[in-house]
Amino acid sequence: MMRRTGLLRSKELVIFLVLVAICGIVTIVNPVFIHPSNIMDIFLMNTVLAIMAFGMLVVILTGGIDVSVGAMVATVTMVVGNFMAHVTGNLFAVFLVGIGTGAILGFLNGLLIAKLRIHAIVVTLGTMSIIYGAMFYITGGEWVTQERIPQNFQQFGRTVFGHIPTVNGGATGLPIQFLFVLLAVAVTWALLRFTMFGRSVFAIGGSRISAERAGFRIDRTVILVYLFEGILVGTAGVVHTSIVRQVDPNAFNGFELQVIAAVVLGGASILGGSGSVLGTVLGVALIAVLNNGLILMRVSSYWQQIIIGLVIILAVSMDIIQKRRTEQRQTRVDVETAEGIQ
Amino acid sequence: MIKARAPIFRNEFLLLGLFVFVFALMSILSPGQFLKPFTIQSMAFQLPEFGILTLAQMVIIITGGINLSISYTAALSSIVGSVLIVSLNAAHVSPVLSISLGILVMLGIATLGGLFNGTFVALVGVSPILVTLGTMTLFDGLSLLLTRGAAISGYPFAYLWFGNGTIFHVPVPMLIFVLVLIVTYYVINRTSFGMKLFMIGANPTATVFSGVNVKRVLFGLYIYSALLSGLAGVIMSSRYNSAKESYGSSYLLQSVVAAVLGGTDIVGGAGSVFGVVLAVMILQVVSTGLDILGFNRFLTNVIMGLILIGALSLNVLGTSRAQRLAKSRTSAVVG
Amino acid sequence: MDSASEYVLRMENISKTFPGVKALEGIHIEVRKGEVHALVGENGAGKSTLIKILSGVYQPDDGAHIFFGNEEVRDLTPVEAVRQGIAVIYQDFSLFPNLTVAENIAVSQNIEKKRLFVSWKQMRDQAARTLARLGVDIELDQELGRLSVARQQLVAIARALTYEAQLIVMDEPTSALSRSEVELLFTIMRSLRDSGISILFISHKLDELFAIIDRLTVIRDGRYMGTYPRDDMDNQKLISLMVGRPVEYTVYPKRTCNDPVLEVRNLSKRGNFFDVSFTLHRGEILGVTGLVGAGRTEMVQAIFGMNAPDAGTLFIDGKEVIITSSEDAVRSGIGYVPENRLQEGLVLQQSMGNNLVLVTLDALTNRFGALVAERKNKVVDDGIQMMAIRPADPEMTVSKLSGGNQQRVVLAKWLAKSPKILIVDEPTNGIDVGAKAEIHKILRDLSEAGMGIILVSSELPEILAIADRILVMRRGRIAGEFDGATATQEQLMSKAILGSISEHQE
Repeated sequence: MMRRTGLLRSKELVIFLVLVAICGIVTIVNPVFIHPSNIMDIFLMNTVLAIMAFGMLVVILTGGIDVSVGAMVATVTMVVGNFMAHVTGNLFAVFLVGIGTGAILGFLNGLLIAKLRIHAIVVTLGTMSIIYGAMFYITGGEWVTQERIPQNFQQFGRTVFGHIPTVNGGATGLPIQFLFVLLAVAVTWALLRFTMFGRSVFAIGGSRISAERAGFRIDRTVILVYLFEGILVGTAGVVHTSIVRQVDPNAFNGFELQVIAAVVLGGASILGGSGSVLGTVLGVALIAVLNNGLILMRVSSYWQQIIIGLVIILAVSMDIIQKRRTEQRQTRVDVETAEGIQ
Repeated sequence: MIKARAPIFRNEFLLLGLFVFVFALMSILSPGQFLKPFTIQSMAFQLPEFGILTLAQMVIIITGGINLSISYTAALSSIVGSVLIVSLNAAHVSPVLSISLGILVMLGIATLGGLFNGTFVALVGVSPILVTLGTMTLFDGLSLLLTRGAAISGYPFAYLWFGNGTIFHVPVPMLIFVLVLIVTYYVINRTSFGMKLFMIGANPTATVFSGVNVKRVLFGLYIYSALLSGLAGVIMSSRYNSAKESYGSSYLLQSVVAAVLGGTDIVGGAGSVFGVVLAVMILQVVSTGLDILGFNRFLTNVIMGLILIGALSLNVLGTSRAQRLAKSRTSAVVG
Repeated sequence: MDSASEYVLRMENISKTFPGVKALEGIHIEVRKGEVHALVGENGAGKSTLIKILSGVYQPDDGAHIFFGNEEVRDLTPVEAVRQGIAVIYQDFSLFPNLTVAENIAVSQNIEKKRLFVSWKQMRDQAARTLARLGVDIELDQELGRLSVARQQLVAIARALTYEAQLIVMDEPTSALSRSEVELLFTIMRSLRDSGISILFISHKLDELFAIIDRLTVIRDGRYMGTYPRDDMDNQKLISLMVGRPVEYTVYPKRTCNDPVLEVRNLSKRGNFFDVSFTLHRGEILGVTGLVGAGRTEMVQAIFGMNAPDAGTLFIDGKEVIITSSEDAVRSGIGYVPENRLQEGLVLQQSMGNNLVLVTLDALTNRFGALVAERKNKVVDDGIQMMAIRPADPEMTVSKLSGGNQQRVVLAKWLAKSPKILIVDEPTNGIDVGAKAEIHKILRDLSEAGMGIILVSSELPEILAIADRILVMRRGRIAGEFDGATATQEQLMSKAILGSISEHQE
């Protein structure tokens, strides 16, 4: 991990502490929270959020944003579901189709944003509408029910590792889908840290002009960024289908907010240029824990959304206030006093 | 007054022409169906809420921001107010009293929402996208909490007048819209407040350096935007005879489309109320026309999205040409 | 590149026209291999424009020829310029504030070598080596945005060194460096030159030039004045070449003013300025000079409410005032004409009229907040007339105006408010000489009418021409105070560069 003046960046530390605090509170109210089977549950329920969050992280790092991810993943699940129902449940094929769908949608987003030079929020507002609209129109919004999902795929979805007894006498384990999360984490981290593509992402987000002058291929990077996000979305879509083993096109209404929230809560700056994989992991964990915790504490599900909304606003406010304070304290002049340079 | 430069007339005439074109198109495609008085009237009833929400969006876009919370501000405020009206009505309180209090509450809640937005955008300095993303989620959640997803109904009959009544054959909502239109036009084009909006959108730094209290301006602006949203909520709940969390949610995207199509520069600094009204009319005609043609509403969404992308592209193409010539940003329209 | 050529760069007949302004006309410049060559001219003479053409950011007007070695290059782009072996360090450094020092230094290598993967060890090693060459010690893992401007510049220079380019171009490289850092830089320049690399740098700091250059090219008002070897040149000749006459500006008689309008006491802000105290009198022009990076703009912006200080007090007309925003400042009677005219002084996309009323807006409304057309028109017309703005068209977009007229708009905007105290920050930057003289007259007239003016300027001749008293800032402190009538450029310059911690000298 990159040394930043020797310490773990304080932002991630703060988020981590908040996370621990929330876990603590929830555990006190309902100890089931830390039961291993519940933890597995949390993993399972949030794999999709996690995988997509890394894609969104890369997008936000360049200073962009994508509100069409909900539409994208819904489309992927529909395509994949119908593909399996009509063609085959062959795992390889299914993943190919799913990732391919995501990649194409992401690529189109990237193309529009890069070539038309329009701000990402507005473009993706448009594409969200187009994608959802087209998907619902073509499929009629029809569910793909469980019996139409091939058995081998369902088996795949149920695979778990290890043996963890559940509260009500059954058994579970580490879901196989979690491996995909690990894969997403590893790939994103490696990409951002060790490839020029990843460094261009940071460069463009930090200063677009400097990036242009330095010779970074901005358009190409932007397109690749959205393509990468699309690939992760595609993966997430297939993974999701393997978890719920059916397809409901409305399952992701408003989901884009959670994905963006996870990244922002993880300390990434909406203006681009700063953020980390670790931070996003913590952001996802925060949302996951919040959601699960609220359920276990028997808080009405309606409160979940309210609390998420408040948490977003609070977190971004604190971020801005801190940024402002750092900026104010920035050394612009090497002031010389009797004691030396300040 | 922000004087319009020559291009504006070309642009607004373009929109007028476009309006005439789609109107004619829809009439031809659905002979006898579209050109009916009934259809025209129903558009006249539907357009106002859309138009008011678009104005609520447009004024924010002029300052370089975006307001993702307009629909849920409308929904939440109408829900809270409706709860009051409905319960007072059930207690046999006089309709005049229940309705007046109810509408007051609706506008009050909307104002609170605007205050919330304004505090974080103007005072704390968080970007409008993030703040309104958060408040959108918040208001949606509150709406769901209050209604459990169900619709609130049980208004006194008189309440329906706001959304369904007419005065001299003109729909009441349309009159409300025209009023809002005039006020908004006046505010952004004739007042010092309005000029500050354009300046902030064009160059917030220079505006602060000129001694303008940008924080105060933006704070007030978000309240204004929320107030308009609340008004739209009044009209919608009256028209649908119920208040529900999901009412108006499709207007968010459409408000951005209409604003952009109407010549509001997405990066801020320019916008014309007339242009926006024409754009609203165009989109309303498209939406209703497609509906009559039997287009699936999802297909209509697709078309809305395409119109947005199309309008943005044209905007950008026009701008980069001017950029290359004058080394300065020539906004599409200055209202 | 053809090794037979003795020139690494030749630019012939370079002209550049912007709407309303001819920035350059018929410039010739040639840099030999293994030479340190200075490009000299006052502020706004067109030096930066020339550099932008050289680095491919601007395209010159037709008829221009650019040769790298013996090869003519057409339609130069920034990427192509880098490939041709030109490394340009702009005044804004083109760095990435969110990346570390090491990565900022090594980034160009990564791009040039078209690497797909990066090695952090390699980047840190290269950065360490380059910084060692500079003899500078900066922590490699520090986020660049947290460094001071001077240190960021060192990083920028380090980065340019990694190109191993044939020609390194620096735009005012020494503005924010201390004397010892300048020495270091020159040492490096010499060693680069001796190894066959050429250096072209822009400077208007004449006192430093002769220590390092081999030849220099002089530009005045966008026109080519000549190229001279160092030995053929001295300060006097240089100044006269740059302005055409030994004495440049009309020197106005200096006044002693006694009526304090603004008193600043112990103003301090960490990392910006320290213990600044002075008094501004009615009818006085108080010059504030010093090297770029001395903290002048930071300090005056604190007075204007845009850079809140940590400590200190302000008194206006004897009464203490608390200023925490620009609005407060305006209400207290302070106006500020910013250094960065285009970004901070004007709303470029808007009309002249709208810009002119921006400060006084609230006074032009009726009871309902509506702008009263007559009042607005009066302010606009008065402003155009008073400042003699050309063309006198309130509807014209200000981006189309010349630099001089743009500055007049900014001045008129503030004058409409009749401030007691007007702070002008590098007011004649980027303006041609004739227009400069007119602005000087405007400022003198204003002070004669009783306005207190704080004039921040890097142009010593300008300060000496119109300032009644002069403060010199150095490294965030007031290094000395001078009488405008008796001070000399040498005194001011030496105070700005060497300075001392004591309050007064002479």
